[in-house]
Amino acid sequence: MFLSTCHNGYIGTITKIHGDDKVKRFLFSLGCAEGDEVALISVLGGNYIVGIKDSRFALDKSLAGKIELSQPGFRRRHRGMRGR
Amino acid sequence: MNNNLRIALTGNPNSGKTTLFNKLTGSSEQVGNWAGVTVAPVIARMKKRYTDLNIDVLDLPGTYSISPYTPEEAFARKAIIDQTYDVIINVADGANLSRSLFFASQLLEIGKPVVIGLNKADVLAQRGDEVDLDLLSRRLGVTIIPIQASKGLGLNDLVQAAIAASAQVTEAKEALSDEDRRSMIDQLIDQVMIRQHDPLTQTFSDRLDRIFIHPIIGLISFFFIMWGVYAFAIEGLGGWLSDWINETLFGEMAPAVVDRLVENYGLSPILGNFLDQALIGGVGAVLGFIPIIMLLFFLLSLLEDSGYMSRVAVLLDKYFKRIGLSGKSIIPMIVGSGCAVPGVMATRTIENVDQRRMTAMLTPFVPCSAKLPVIALVSVAFFPQSSWVGPSTYVLAIVTIILGGLFLKKVFRNVDESHFIIELPEYRFPSLLQALERMWDQAKAFAYKAGTIIFVMSVLIWILQAFNFSGYTQDATSSFLAFISGRLNWLLIPLGMAGWQLITAVLTGFVAKENVVSTLAVLLAAGNSEALSTGVLSNYFNPITAYSFLLLNLFTPPCVAAIAALKNELKEPKWIWRTLLFQVSVGYLLAMTVSQIGSLIVYGEPLPSWWIAAIVGIIYVVIILYLTRRRPKNA
Repeated sequence: MFLSTCHNGYIGTITKIHGDDKVKRFLFSLGCAEGDEVALISVLGGNYIVGIKDSRFALDKSLAGKIELSQPGFRRRHRGMRGR
Repeated sequence: MNNNLRIALTGNPNSGKTTLFNKLTGSSEQVGNWAGVTVAPVIARMKKRYTDLNIDVLDLPGTYSISPYTPEEAFARKAIIDQTYDVIINVADGANLSRSLFFASQLLEIGKPVVIGLNKADVLAQRGDEVDLDLLSRRLGVTIIPIQASKGLGLNDLVQAAIAASAQVTEAKEALSDEDRRSMIDQLIDQVMIRQHDPLTQTFSDRLDRIFIHPIIGLISFFFIMWGVYAFAIEGLGGWLSDWINETLFGEMAPAVVDRLVENYGLSPILGNFLDQALIGGVGAVLGFIPIIMLLFFLLSLLEDSGYMSRVAVLLDKYFKRIGLSGKSIIPMIVGSGCAVPGVMATRTIENVDQRRMTAMLTPFVPCSAKLPVIALVSVAFFPQSSWVGPSTYVLAIVTIILGGLFLKKVFRNVDESHFIIELPEYRFPSLLQALERMWDQAKAFAYKAGTIIFVMSVLIWILQAFNFSGYTQDATSSFLAFISGRLNWLLIPLGMAGWQLITAVLTGFVAKENVVSTLAVLLAAGNSEALSTGVLSNYFNPITAYSFLLLNLFTPPCVAAIAALKNELKEPKWIWRTLLFQVSVGYLLAMTVSQIGSLIVYGEPLPSWWIAAIVGIIYVVIILYLTRRRPKNA
């Protein structure tokens, strides 16, 4: 399930980031990588406000469509646990 | 120990490096609550209250990682790798610890002494989170000093730690892979940090975002906030203070003093004429705008410090995308409404190179504070009863940016593929002290400008119009200046104006926009801008051509300082020439259109020069069609 199709308040773990390396690397340096927990805070006018780690980011729909999240029920409570 | 040290400040964007820098060195570099306020490195000497040593502090743009994404990150990376310093103070953002440590751990591998200043320790405390700094420090093998840069807390300890660390011998370590580094940091955070709050729950900032980023309510509040800022600074308190200076101080008091000096104290009439025209008329016409400029920068500083700018970028992204720009383009434009120089520099946070170029080309169309005297002059002289002239220039700027964006989008062609992502810092109550400092700095800078560039230009113009090949002359039309500027008179014909004085004003305006007013004041022997508005100007303009003249000055390239900033950002000479050509064309076409069509509509008959204007217009239409023609991609 992609971030762009989630509803407000959804919390999931990033399973895959699609797109070119440049986008991945940038998201990575912001603290957004596979295995991270993401909360969709709100969707406002086509922009996705998300919480990742301690920060808030706004991303547009095309970028949100590149971030794939785990299905509900897979939420991992603890940072630092990564499933490989 | 070395007596001369150089400390580099590094850290994530918006972690507070520049705030720390200003505190350490007593500088007043621009700070703001968004990621990417500092786009170029700054260096200054540290204040002696922290140390007796001679320490230079280097403030670098923020970066998230040593592998860069935006140009200003690339710059920080280069500076870090080039190692022109003795020790790094890495400013870690306490509100964002794991990301800060990611970058910190990269720094620890490059083989330079590092000290970490854990900033915003108060935010951590507010959230009820605790960090075991001793453990963290031992694990990373680096000294960590908690600081609160905005209040100046912990800075002494930090400086001492940096001095101590500079003596250490360090070696470069092998770099971890990004993935390994992340799991290392994640584990470390779990060990040293006890969290009381869940960062993923809704906060007060999130609720404010629902208002300010809301597609309808957000737009309405944006409109009212910006309108409030400009109305209060330009029309409200600022306008009232400025009127007093213009009308009373330089309009009545100062000329009266000069008259007395000439009549009663034997001051030479030539010197009196010089004082009246060049000094009071030229410089005074411009000095009156100090209150407006101070207030404008004060309010913009509050706005920038609050965290609101990032929200505007999100709000407007979908509209800006349609004209080929990014939502982030709004930040340079708002900053540019104060001054185009920092505005153009602020384009550096835009990742996409085409969007960045386009924003740099379009930002100078926003009326900056130096253009306000010109707007005021035309408004007072030709439209005294109406208040639409000032606002209309802002509306025209928006329209021009939209049309310009659409045109450039066609020319650039490959701007569609860009993603928008921006960090939303928590809102905070803006620092009044900081805003006051910024306001004071701007006032000083403006007074300095008035005393140097504008003064020198006024004097130069006065001399050139008062002398000709045979000496001092009362007849300016035979002067050097009339001779030189007269060569370019033909340029104004399609605009329906004439006069070497006008050409001179436009040309001096490229040095600094305020010069347009001071030059006209000097040349039209008006004494001051008040007198300018009471008649002399109507020998040269009717209201339509006056408005057209205003647009010519507002929409052609701003001033040498802004052109230099553009040169810095665009780098390639090819792009600078294109930008200048684009801006000259826009300004000229806009002025020509208003003159010609305005005259036809208002006075019911075309200007005598209508056919020349038509030829110029047709040439431009052909050029535009050629540049925007359909072409296969990547051709």
